[in-house]
Amino acid sequence: MGEFDVLIIGGGVVGSAIARELSRFKLKIGVLEKNLDVCYETSGRNSGVVHGGIAYDTGSLKAKLCVEGNRGMEALSRELGFTFKRCGKVLVGKNAEEMESLRRTIAQGEKNGATGLRLIDKEELHKLVPMAIGEFAMFSENSGIVDPFIYTIALAENAAANGVQYFFNHEVTAISREEEQNLWSVTAAQGTYQTRWVINSAGLGCGVISDMLGIKGYHVIGSKGDYIILDRRTGELLPMPVYPVPSNTYMGIHVTNTTDGNVIIGPNAENVMDFTYYGVPQENMDYLAKSASEIWPCIKKADYIRNYSGILPKWVDENGVIQDFKIEIRPELAPNAVNLVGIESPGLTAAVPIGRMVAGMIGEYEKLEENPGFNPRRKGIIRFEEQNDETKARLIAENPDYGEVICRCEKVTKAEILEAIHNPLGVHTMVGIKYRTRSMMGRCQGGYCQMRIARLLEEELGIPDTKIRYARENSWLFTGKVREEEA
Amino acid sequence: MVREFTCIVCPNGCDITAEVENGELISVTGATCKRGEAYVKQELTDPRRTISSSVAVRNGELPLVSVRLDTAIPKNRIFDVMQEIGAVRLEAPVHIGDVVIEDILGLGSNVIVTKNVERK
Amino acid sequence: MEKREVVIIGGGPAGLAAAVELYKKGIQDVLIVEREKAMGGILRQCIHDGFGLTRFKTTLSGPEYAQRFIDEVQTYRIPYRIDTTVLYVSSDKVVTIASAKGLEKIQAKAVILTMGCRERTRGALGIPGERPAGVFTAGVAQAYMNLYNRMVGKEVVILGSGDIGMIMARRLTLEGAHVQAVFEIQPIPSGLPRNIEQCLNDYGIPLYLSHTITAIHGKERVTGVTISEVDAQMKPIPGTEKEYACDTVILSVGLIPENELSIDAGVPLDTRTRGAVVDEFFQTEKEGFFAAGNVLHVHDLVDFVSLEAEKLADGVAEYVRGGRLPECPIELKTDRNVNHTVPQKISGQRDVNVTMRVNRKFENAVIVLRQGGEVIAKKSMKKALPAEMIQIGLKKEAIRGNQEIEVSVEW
Repeated sequence: MGEFDVLIIGGGVVGSAIARELSRFKLKIGVLEKNLDVCYETSGRNSGVVHGGIAYDTGSLKAKLCVEGNRGMEALSRELGFTFKRCGKVLVGKNAEEMESLRRTIAQGEKNGATGLRLIDKEELHKLVPMAIGEFAMFSENSGIVDPFIYTIALAENAAANGVQYFFNHEVTAISREEEQNLWSVTAAQGTYQTRWVINSAGLGCGVISDMLGIKGYHVIGSKGDYIILDRRTGELLPMPVYPVPSNTYMGIHVTNTTDGNVIIGPNAENVMDFTYYGVPQENMDYLAKSASEIWPCIKKADYIRNYSGILPKWVDENGVIQDFKIEIRPELAPNAVNLVGIESPGLTAAVPIGRMVAGMIGEYEKLEENPGFNPRRKGIIRFEEQNDETKARLIAENPDYGEVICRCEKVTKAEILEAIHNPLGVHTMVGIKYRTRSMMGRCQGGYCQMRIARLLEEELGIPDTKIRYARENSWLFTGKVREEEA
Repeated sequence: MVREFTCIVCPNGCDITAEVENGELISVTGATCKRGEAYVKQELTDPRRTISSSVAVRNGELPLVSVRLDTAIPKNRIFDVMQEIGAVRLEAPVHIGDVVIEDILGLGSNVIVTKNVERK
Repeated sequence: MEKREVVIIGGGPAGLAAAVELYKKGIQDVLIVEREKAMGGILRQCIHDGFGLTRFKTTLSGPEYAQRFIDEVQTYRIPYRIDTTVLYVSSDKVVTIASAKGLEKIQAKAVILTMGCRERTRGALGIPGERPAGVFTAGVAQAYMNLYNRMVGKEVVILGSGDIGMIMARRLTLEGAHVQAVFEIQPIPSGLPRNIEQCLNDYGIPLYLSHTITAIHGKERVTGVTISEVDAQMKPIPGTEKEYACDTVILSVGLIPENELSIDAGVPLDTRTRGAVVDEFFQTEKEGFFAAGNVLHVHDLVDFVSLEAEKLADGVAEYVRGGRLPECPIELKTDRNVNHTVPQKISGQRDVNVTMRVNRKFENAVIVLRQGGEVIAKKSMKKALPAEMIQIGLKKEAIRGNQEIEVSVEW
């Protein structure tokens, strides 16, 4: 079923960033994604924080690529049309031990190349975050937040606009090597694809794919973290993320503002081997709220609008010690394959530098010819709610669909919903529309707009109501009609 | 024998205690109005309900129009009546009060339209 | 800028009743703004009957009930805009609306808030478990079935004994779905007794009190739920878990007044009702802003929504004509058995109808209003349920000075 120069397994933020970096060159590129959209797993299930590169061992890929990703985030967000706010963040402490720990963190961060790190006293902390609880804090002025959905979608859409083909619902089940032809055969349920290069950016599936490539022995565990999302009104009380003092392996339960003004609380960290279970247990929700209240005392149950969880793929050694990112080519085991293992946090921040690194590694094996048609820019969906009255009036005058508000909580208009339905990746799930527009994400969770959006999907795509999916393959929204039109 | 009822005539939902001998109502306590006693009598001999449902409409601004029974029918005939309602197809426009099925299944009740659905 | 004496936000039962009553009182420079394609609000999807017994002395379905008011609006040619969303209201009563016609601003003398309520969701409750398709709030399921002709499921479990949930249990059963049970975390039902009788008992659907969902299962569509009994603190009791296989979960776990526009306009809310704090004229603490219906406090019956909105029209008419309303310095305070009252403040110069809800079930109780320790009104009740709104008339002659009024339950 077609032959590619490069097949990328996994279309998350890293796979999509790799796809986009490679689309700068004259290559036929495909992305095989097992889900129906690009950010259903780790890329969309996190805190949305752009890290400063502070907490990682000096000299590690995590530190280097994170610092690089952080530096480039403004330019990237302008190119691709996603929201990035360099709002800074604080790590709050109370006692001498924590003060010492923060001093060490700053020293390490500076060694890693992070800038804008300093200790601040209580007065300055309260100037930055009036509600934070702490006797002092470390301020990282270059930390920030992104909308992780739009960021991932933007990378993927821009890759697609530059010729990358996305294949959804394509879970890879087998990989084999045809040495004479110097080709890989990658098999999914829909068929087998041949490619000269294969890239394992399968996220939670990285260990399985690495095994399929013949690079055995990576032990990958999941670290599951649960989150609670609070109403948008709470964002006024949190101008930047507030973290506790981190331990060596874990950042701690923090509170993070989102680019849309919500607050998210989390994550806890629990080692799991089931990479498909995203349920959030009651006791974890209670624990998150209690724990986060110690650094930010504004958590009220009346403000809960949703909870979710995410799983980070962590590569661990035989002693269970978490390892650095592994990004490798092992010609003796798997020629023409780039193997990425354990791309966990700070993968969101580091995605584009990872993409560049992968392109560079391939470039050492063959000369990559530049794609003269490459266009780094993507225009996102204009968000009606964020415009001033003058622009709103102009938008409606140009397109009356902007005058029809479909999602009342997030004030998303019909024009935006239609643009999302006809998205460049051809994603047609309800959650796909949600990620692209924020509809159904507000406090009523789709109570008002979900049915309108379902109907627009049916009308625009000409599909019956029984074919409307929520998020996954068989996640049907309806079981039929109440009355068939004909008796 | 003493039987307990929750009156459904109005939203007060009175808890009514009835003394019953051989199917005969001896006394009623707990009803705050006289409709309660009548309700209990009816429940003892011939429990009745009204129901609401929807009928498919062709060429309407909505795919369905709501309907209801204009008087109560025996409770044990509800699903028979639902089957009849499910089989009807209307053509828009339809208006409140239009009779969809007259004297449904000979039960003395009409199925009437409860919403205006204009032609699209 | 367009000017109106009154802008009414929301053309549901409260907005319609307010508009008609204002018209009858001679206030005719009114605009109703409705975001849907038709007026009537939530009543459009409430096709069951039982509406109108108080207001019209007959039993009607929701659409019929709404149509009576819509017909009056049309007969009187009261101006309304459908397909039009209010984006924001400024604290000086400039209403910004969006529609296909454009973005417009209207300066109002009085703004009537009648936006109704929204349903409490799974996320707000924090129901644990996975996140498959097939979890619907009762009102959403009702809209899908009654307006959109979509069947939401076949094997159903319902969480919460709110009235809409029970009504949907019957509706789903009539349309061929199998409703296994209704589970309620509280020790008493949250909906009306008659709905337990005619929506559950009639169809053999069991109601389990002091039970809740402790996990939802399914990666794609719902495959089942875990149900647990809860203790007196409503915490699940370990070891009581039972599994139910189902493809659909319906939630009827409460309604929340939809006050986002009110908050942005600077209208203070009551944390108990999550609606505005109002005086006996239904004026909020922000002058010129009035509220009635479910946006003010969640009602048990639409009849009372209409009656409340009609009462509000008195105050609005007086305000629009005279530019001000009497001071309302007398506050109503509640004891721990009373959840809230509406209004929260009164003038003491007029007769007033106080609406309230109790916090738990009482039998043979007396609702007592006291001022300075002296009883100024009381109402005996054979049973008082949190599911029902209780109304007490208070005569102006009984009111002594501006001291606060204490509302309590005695039994």
